[in-house]
Amino acid sequence: MTARPRLALLVLAVLALAALVGAPLAGSREISLADVLRGEPIAAAIFWQLRLPRVLLALLAGAGLAVSGLGFQTLFRNELAEPYTLGVASGAALGAVLALRLEESAALLGLPVVALASFAGALGATALVVGLGLRRRDTATSTLLLAGIAVSLSCSAIILFLQYLADSTQTFRIVRWMMGGLSVVGYGEVLWVLPWVLGGAAVLLFLRWDLNLLLMGEELAASRGVDLGRLRLKVLLAASLMIGALVAVAGPIGFVGLMVPHILRRWVGHDHLYLAPACVLGGGAFLILCDLAARTIMAPAELPVGVLTALLGGPFFLWLLVWRTRE
Amino acid sequence: MTPLLAARGVTWEAGGRTILGPLDLEVRAGECLGIVGPNGAGKTTLLRLLTGLLRPRSGEIVWQGRPYSDLSRRELAWHIAYVPQIRPARVPLSVEEVVLLGRYPHLSALQWAPRTGDFAAVDEALCRVGIEELRRRRVDELSGGERQAVFIAAALAQEAELLVLDEPTIHLDARHQSELAGLLLRLAGESGRTVVLATHDLNLAGLLGDRLLALAGGRILASGRPAEILRPDVLERLFRARFEIVRGGERPVTLLRLEPEP
Repeated sequence: MTARPRLALLVLAVLALAALVGAPLAGSREISLADVLRGEPIAAAIFWQLRLPRVLLALLAGAGLAVSGLGFQTLFRNELAEPYTLGVASGAALGAVLALRLEESAALLGLPVVALASFAGALGATALVVGLGLRRRDTATSTLLLAGIAVSLSCSAIILFLQYLADSTQTFRIVRWMMGGLSVVGYGEVLWVLPWVLGGAAVLLFLRWDLNLLLMGEELAASRGVDLGRLRLKVLLAASLMIGALVAVAGPIGFVGLMVPHILRRWVGHDHLYLAPACVLGGGAFLILCDLAARTIMAPAELPVGVLTALLGGPFFLWLLVWRTRE
Repeated sequence: MTPLLAARGVTWEAGGRTILGPLDLEVRAGECLGIVGPNGAGKTTLLRLLTGLLRPRSGEIVWQGRPYSDLSRRELAWHIAYVPQIRPARVPLSVEEVVLLGRYPHLSALQWAPRTGDFAAVDEALCRVGIEELRRRRVDELSGGERQAVFIAAALAQEAELLVLDEPTIHLDARHQSELAGLLLRLAGESGRTVVLATHDLNLAGLLGDRLLALAGGRILASGRPAEILRPDVLERLFRARFEIVRGGERPVTLLRLEPEP
């Protein structure tokens, strides 16, 4: 029974490790692992300074997006729920764009303003969506998703308005950031994202019994002793903080949180003990590969990775809608 | 002897209208209490109040002298196991996993795997319900009767003192109804088990219940031994339909009379 999920985790771990080592070797200038290990200066500089931080960030971003998508999907018992459909990422984006528009280099209490604004946006959007859902006294998933769409559209409208007001340099920066990208990063960004992603994934792993019980419905879960209010708060907080941290650094990267958990669920099964770590490894590997493709398809030009995931994710979302209704 | 559970002056409102109560009731240790009544009488609402899933608008419910408001959800789950009427259409887990989740109130987030005692409780529950051979099957693949047995096994694995069942035989065909009735009769007969059961099936209620509660319009119309409730006059007042007593005695068997309109 448990052989398959364990084997799947092992395969995913190997895949993630291979992507982590392999992806930095490819790019507009190919380098070899032997050169890097020998300490050949140019190859080593490209590997350690330019490409590895970017690949590490892709790993963490993919992991965080997939795991938070999983959390939202189980919590709302809807496979279409993810940071983007719920408006959480749009909220984070609005916060970040607002900060970019005002003053991007300022820092508050040692943290960059863009990051803080992104956190605030993610939490605000989550609170708004869940608040709207609870106010109607039903946490029916349709209400939450509709509220998410409404919040998402409102945030996009405000972002467009801010772009309209901005001068051309600012507009370019905002548009480029909105496409989602991992292009200009160093180890600072990686270290900044790391605790949020690991912490959020750990919270979901600790809540695995609760999340498994939720698969059988809220009433049954509550009758087994799950405190639904507190569970919602924990999952939403963990997922929103992850998204806030990721969006601040990488911009919005859509659909990873939708596709990865869905595919892995069919392979690994529904037990969150295996599914949560599988999402960390699978999501990380997936985004590394997407970023690799984005870097190389049009080399030497780079495609923003957010554009690529959206190109893959849009049709996937539609396929999910059609396939689900047919079941 | 203090009752296991006592409700005093309990009411529930929906849309500004009182739909249940005020009512008082007690559940004594070791008994099986059957709740019968027409659609909309408030049977499910009453069960949800007794399991603590709903907090009453007024009045209070106590578990062995402790008010529900002092008990956490987990503490309530140590005492009360619930098999709700509405169950999810899709359960993407195996029978064993679903029954193991019945151990939730005894598990801690910090323990990596369930303990030996948890697996023992799962084995015992599966054995009691007689579905050991299904343990590796996915719940999605099972028939309605088998699914119902799985959810009862999960509630047994919870090892709570009180088992609350909402319409356990609904949507089951005759064979599965009779098999499930046999199982419930065996469970209710085990020493020290207390059961509260809401059902439309008067014969099931008469067979299992030590005491029946006739609920209509959110109020207790009558309560007593099956022979005191399953009588044509009480049933006619309760359901506004005519019943025949097919077999009398302590546990009467009734038949609903369906007649062409005059």
